[in-house]
Amino acid sequence: MNNGSREGASRPLLEIKRLSVDYHAESGTVHALSDVSVTLERGQILGLAGESGSGKSTLGYAITRLLKPPAEIVNGEALYYPRALRHTNASLDGAAPAPTEPVNILTLGQNQLRALRWKELAIVFQSAMNALNPVIDIGAQITDVLRTHQPWLNKRERRARAIELLRLVGIAPDRLHSYAHELSGGMRQRTIIAIALALGPEVIIMDEPTTALDVVVQREILMEIIALRKDLEFSVIFITHDLSLLLELADKVAIMYAGRVVELATREQLKEHPRHPYGYGMLNSFPTIYGERRRMTGIPGSPPDLRDVPPGCSFHTRCPLAFAHCRAELPLLRPATDPADSQQVACHLYDPRSAQDEPPTGQRFAACYEIAYAAGHGERSGQ
Amino acid sequence: MTLGRAENTALPAEAGPRAPANVPPILEAINLRKHFPVRQRRPGAPRQVVHAVEDMSLALYPGRALALVGESGSGKTTVARLLARLYDATAGSIRFQGEPALGNGRASLLAYRRRVQLIFQDPFSSLNPVHGVRYHLSRPLRIHGHVRSKAEETEQVLALLDKVNLSPAEQFIGKYPHQLSGGQRQRVSIARALAVRPDVLLADEPVSMLDVSIRLDVLNLLLRLKDEERLAVLFITHDIASARYFAEDTLVMYAGQMVEGGSSDDVIQRPKHPYTQLLISAAPDTSRPADAPFQARGEIPSLITPPTGCRFHPRCPHAMAICRERVPRRTELGGGHWTNCFLYGDGHDASSASVATHVQ
Repeated sequence: MNNGSREGASRPLLEIKRLSVDYHAESGTVHALSDVSVTLERGQILGLAGESGSGKSTLGYAITRLLKPPAEIVNGEALYYPRALRHTNASLDGAAPAPTEPVNILTLGQNQLRALRWKELAIVFQSAMNALNPVIDIGAQITDVLRTHQPWLNKRERRARAIELLRLVGIAPDRLHSYAHELSGGMRQRTIIAIALALGPEVIIMDEPTTALDVVVQREILMEIIALRKDLEFSVIFITHDLSLLLELADKVAIMYAGRVVELATREQLKEHPRHPYGYGMLNSFPTIYGERRRMTGIPGSPPDLRDVPPGCSFHTRCPLAFAHCRAELPLLRPATDPADSQQVACHLYDPRSAQDEPPTGQRFAACYEIAYAAGHGERSGQ
Repeated sequence: MTLGRAENTALPAEAGPRAPANVPPILEAINLRKHFPVRQRRPGAPRQVVHAVEDMSLALYPGRALALVGESGSGKTTVARLLARLYDATAGSIRFQGEPALGNGRASLLAYRRRVQLIFQDPFSSLNPVHGVRYHLSRPLRIHGHVRSKAEETEQVLALLDKVNLSPAEQFIGKYPHQLSGGQRQRVSIARALAVRPDVLLADEPVSMLDVSIRLDVLNLLLRLKDEERLAVLFITHDIASARYFAEDTLVMYAGQMVEGGSSDDVIQRPKHPYTQLLISAAPDTSRPADAPFQARGEIPSLITPPTGCRFHPRCPHAMAICRERVPRRTELGGGHWTNCFLYGDGHDASSASVATHVQ
């Protein structure tokens, strides 16, 4: 599915190149995002997985230009490739010289951004209660978006479209005049998704859209997203701390740690053979419902404080396979096995120049984590 | 001082007999009910209550964990607070070592809490930000009369920190909550609960707020403590996979009612109640067979006017007329596995248990 995406035949939809974001705090500058490059293909669900402080939300906010000081985008591009035929009518006139040229979202002016937002790029936040206006009914909030961005619609048409959108996400039309507090958590999140869909965007960025929901509702929403994506052909960047969700949902997954992408792989590749020691550890941090019940070790230590990231590979303090080189040099993303491998990993174990052994197998990962665990290399050894 | 000790505890035993027959339960809840009054907007309006927990019975045994699984609004936290005696039950009773837990005076509550301790979900709000680790751990020691001198206090606080793997303990004793990570804070909370040397630990979603990679560390810590201290643990969670990992027994709640219980393996591998089946089919799981069916309808009902009979009936794909009329009683399925569901009998005989072995 991802093969051949580099060729001109299928252009990516969104290409993030070497993006870095700093937060300027009183105690110094924090590198929340360092040199992140990921690509969203048309029709894909790209998963961003990471723990708190990994930079996954910062990335989502940077792409949508929602970052506010003290955050600053210090480097990088976010290239959006508009669909060739769609924009002949006006929306991005000022933004790009020709509609087929990519647009760098990070350099757009306010007016161009307005044209881009919702119409091309929508965002769904974690807390639907905070994202909805409590004193306006949800119908008005949907028609609001339509009034602003599709002024040629009259009141009847806007109402009809709002009902259509609600129906699309599985909310009965008689809820049009409900307020946010009258809806359950799941229905609120569905409403937010309906608003995001209102203008038929190409990309929807979902920042932990189901984290605050119960498992049953979470699954309903995920099924809804999968079904809608098939029908409406949008692409999704799905941000979550729950890697197991992405293994069911995402086409491609970027695992982030301390502001960097440490592994980039398809869902199948990750399921089969996570390459980065952190990726392996994360995948083995979830007890399972099915299969053999076995003791699990998790990952020793805790995620680093971004004010004080370890030198070299920032994971080396927790990594059971770390060797001297890991402390000295920052590993860069590279194909995990042969140069044609689409699974990429930022780890010296896969760099023939520094690795002493063959790339680690699942068994070796398991054994090393087990040894680290038995040695009591637990959280206490961290800061 | 033992540095570098790992949680070398075994997982809970596979599907063994329900509970050792000769060991009496240490803490029992018998037909607990909790209704919360609702504030009326209009004077003279009919009195309304939230039916948070109905007819809840459970038993905790030394050295064993019982997982209480349910979604938000299922009443699982209310059960923990009833058992911690933070709430008074509307009806029903709590027995500790066979004796009814009575008396709301300071002395009797203090005596009770010396044996039964609660761990909260959120380690960011359960520790007081203006006090250090020493204060949090020495307070229960002093209140419950476990220490007499400052030297004794320091010694015991250090021992507690060591017990929860916060080492070097000498360093952690002087820290404040904001200097600790989420996992470290939760360890302090656990140490605080252990300070009184309890018999029962009520853990209300103890790892839900923690980062994924450190959840297992804390779960494994609790597993080791359960074994070492012979603690009876009530493990409250919305994550059915961690219930299977952590607890010998599992009890599933829906909208304030118990729906199914038994050994964790029976309940999670061979779920019988349609709600348990729904919950399991919804949980994210990488080991799930691809394209497992999932079908849900409706939402968790209002507990002010809950559905009559079985509260799951409006959402249940197998609901029958009787489900609306009566509350199903317990049907034994063998091996300690039971469910409150008319599909398996009306609660009087177990012979009909084979009628629907696997409802999908």
